[in-house]
Amino acid sequence: MEKQTKVQNNALPRDAKVDILATYLTRPRLWWLYTLIVLIIFALISWSGSTVQYKGLANKGVEVAKGIWNGLVSPDRSLLFTLNEEGAIVSPFINVTPEGVPYQLLQTVAIAVLGTLIGGVLAIPFSFLACDKIVPKWVALIFNVFILLIRTIPSLVWALVWIRVTGPNAFCGVVTQSVCSIGMICKMYITAIEDIDTRILESLDATGCNGFQKIRYGMLPQIIPNFISTVIYRFDINVKDATTLGIVGAGGIGAALIQCITSSRWSMVGSYLFGMILLMIVIELFSTYVRQKLARG
Amino acid sequence: MSKTKQKDASGKSLTGRVIGAVVMAAAGVFCALAALGVTPGAIVLSALTVCAALHALHTRTMKLKNGKSVVQPGSNGLLIGMLLVDIVAASAVLTGFDFGIIMKRGNQFFVILQQIFQPDFNYFPKVVDPLLDTIKMSILGSVIGATLALPVSVIASTNINRSGVAVWAQRILLMIIRTLPTLVIAKFAALIFGLGTFAGTVAIVIFTFGVVSKMMYESIETIDMGAFEAMESFGANKFQSFWSACMPQILPTYLSYCLYALEMNIRAAAILGYVGAGGLGLLMDERIGWRDYRGLGMVLLALFVVVLIIEQTSQYLRKKLS
Amino acid sequence: MIEFKHVDKVYPNGTKGLSDINLSIDQGEFVAIIGLSGAGKSTLIRTINRMIDVTGGQLVVDGTDVMSLSGKAMRRYRRKIGMIFQSYNLVTRTTAIRNVLTSMVPDMPFWKVLLGAFSAEQKLKALEALDKVGILDKAYIRCDQLSGGQQQRVSLARTLNQDPTIILADEPVAALDPVTAHQVMADFKRINQEMNITVLINIHHVDLALAYCSRVIGIRAGKIVYDGPTQDVTQEILDEIYGGATVPTAGT
Repeated sequence: MEKQTKVQNNALPRDAKVDILATYLTRPRLWWLYTLIVLIIFALISWSGSTVQYKGLANKGVEVAKGIWNGLVSPDRSLLFTLNEEGAIVSPFINVTPEGVPYQLLQTVAIAVLGTLIGGVLAIPFSFLACDKIVPKWVALIFNVFILLIRTIPSLVWALVWIRVTGPNAFCGVVTQSVCSIGMICKMYITAIEDIDTRILESLDATGCNGFQKIRYGMLPQIIPNFISTVIYRFDINVKDATTLGIVGAGGIGAALIQCITSSRWSMVGSYLFGMILLMIVIELFSTYVRQKLARG
Repeated sequence: MSKTKQKDASGKSLTGRVIGAVVMAAAGVFCALAALGVTPGAIVLSALTVCAALHALHTRTMKLKNGKSVVQPGSNGLLIGMLLVDIVAASAVLTGFDFGIIMKRGNQFFVILQQIFQPDFNYFPKVVDPLLDTIKMSILGSVIGATLALPVSVIASTNINRSGVAVWAQRILLMIIRTLPTLVIAKFAALIFGLGTFAGTVAIVIFTFGVVSKMMYESIETIDMGAFEAMESFGANKFQSFWSACMPQILPTYLSYCLYALEMNIRAAAILGYVGAGGLGLLMDERIGWRDYRGLGMVLLALFVVVLIIEQTSQYLRKKLS
Repeated sequence: MIEFKHVDKVYPNGTKGLSDINLSIDQGEFVAIIGLSGAGKSTLIRTINRMIDVTGGQLVVDGTDVMSLSGKAMRRYRRKIGMIFQSYNLVTRTTAIRNVLTSMVPDMPFWKVLLGAFSAEQKLKALEALDKVGILDKAYIRCDQLSGGQQQRVSLARTLNQDPTIILADEPVAALDPVTAHQVMADFKRINQEMNITVLINIHHVDLALAYCSRVIGIRAGKIVYDGPTQDVTQEILDEIYGGATVPTAGT
């Protein structure tokens, strides 16, 4: 082995030989870093695996799983459509009563619409105040901590607190979402503000614009599409969130769904889930489409 | 140069514009009438919406001094604005929007908030165990979910998997998984596997799997396929080519998404206890039920600190990765 | 008429940007300013519309002492001077005509600015400006869908729309391919000749400068080393401007 290396080495010019050896010896050695990372990850997994143990299915587990499956396969059509005695769909086709899935879905969307809009408007002043390119660093820090506080408190907790004020109804959902949307929306607004292309301000300066005119024609056209895109993205999330707010009684489809689950009425659970999945897919497609339009024109 | 252009000057087709305006106007009028009934307010709103639609379709031809003319396309701004007003009006009716309640009883909220901001530190010993459970659930859930997501996202990306059916089947499945709220999944898991942290972990695995898979296949589709093709050209199979040519490109993104998922999961895991899936949620529900807002404050403070630490660490690591 | 009288510029960190510049440029001239990067080309151009303040000497444009202006008077002064940038500096998310209209903003009342309410005459004027640079058909297209050359023309139209007497162009063709660069330079020349607007252009491409401009000013380390008509520029002069480095002029 050694001999072979020697022969090869002799075949190269003297300098090259030294260089190759030097390069080889000074190669970046990161194996210890990788080992450390792997070790840490394994330690974390084994630590967290210690309490999470599989204790077999619950005594009714199989029954519940079967129930959910059956519900999804044969949902309760009377919640979705207007049916006559023979089970055929009759005018006005969809079930428009407040218990029906369409009404519940509409209410869920309505909660998300108002919650997102109000949250999106409330977030504007906060995001400017939390942007350290605009206000002094310490002011930005205070508002950033405030935004983080809002984001950390789970929406369910916000809802439970607001229920004390508004009572258990859809309006509670609106207020809850208005408050807890602020956190994430602010975070994305701030990014949009920081991404502003300031070269445009330079050219407006050269045409003789004053400060206000620079903001109106240099900054607003850049940030407004981003703001709208953020609000639509959050709307997508809020619709999903609104479906669970009902679990604590803050309106929307969640309340009815959770009741049906607790009382094991699986065919009704099936139709609610059906409606929810359909709604979420439509909303996601809509949100992706509009945001793409905004980005590409 | 082109003389009078019959086509829309912004490059969109005229029929598309007409259909868009009609659909939006119809939606607006429907919202106004369905929610408010046939009332003067609803009629005024509908009329304004129709006017906005007409405005959107109105194109003007401008004549320049040198005889050339330009078609100025109508603007959808007003119509979209009116549609939004209609939707807001309908939503306000549907949700029973009542600002008066806030004015009258809003102080209640601040009373509660005040108590939350004075956490009861004596309650801390009771918080430790559920807090650790929450952290453990989210770490384990993130690791398992993200691991499962990697192969699936490869199957669901069009540039690597050429079979359209497999891609779309995978994507629809992922979409359905993502539409199910974590809390509902947790509820089902708690019913099937019994109350406790296992159910919560299952919910988080499913949630992480859905989110990370989607983010991953979107970023796999943007990678440079040159190296992949080169490897295939000298006889490597698909797996070898992917592993050596694409993995190095997507690994930093993947790890970054995993950390991001962990950040989200800590927050998500905190509420799962509400449906009996272990962790802090149960405690929070209990504190609110007993109106012990200072205890709730303690729980939230603990959560806040943990989220802060994990977010900062994760953001630091993600910056290193990119 | 632009007059530099013993103009100096010293940056706050002590760097000398310009030293003892004496120049006089008549209305309607088409001047190319050439020199190495960092020689002071950008500084020279930007002193004219007070984007940069001079620290010594006197700069007089059309009888106004530029350094005496401030606030509103300065903004009004800037209305007469158009400026073109290397990176176009357009709001890419709005249409071409909206970008052109922004150059009218300084003359509008507050509420109209706020609402973005432009009159029909203003729109027609903006369209005419777009027509002058040959992109009338792109008026209602968003700028991020235009090519680099088209975007630079939108920015040229924006400048024309403010009826300038002087146009300052800071590396306007540096980001464009050779064919488009020629087209944009031809636009400048046409505007210069047809509308009698003084054009000052900072340019790296010596061949383009020699092909289109009527006068060349060479700058080296903040000093003018050549000032004369284009036809008198020789290889020796170019070598001098570029500090002895051989300049490939490729026989243009």
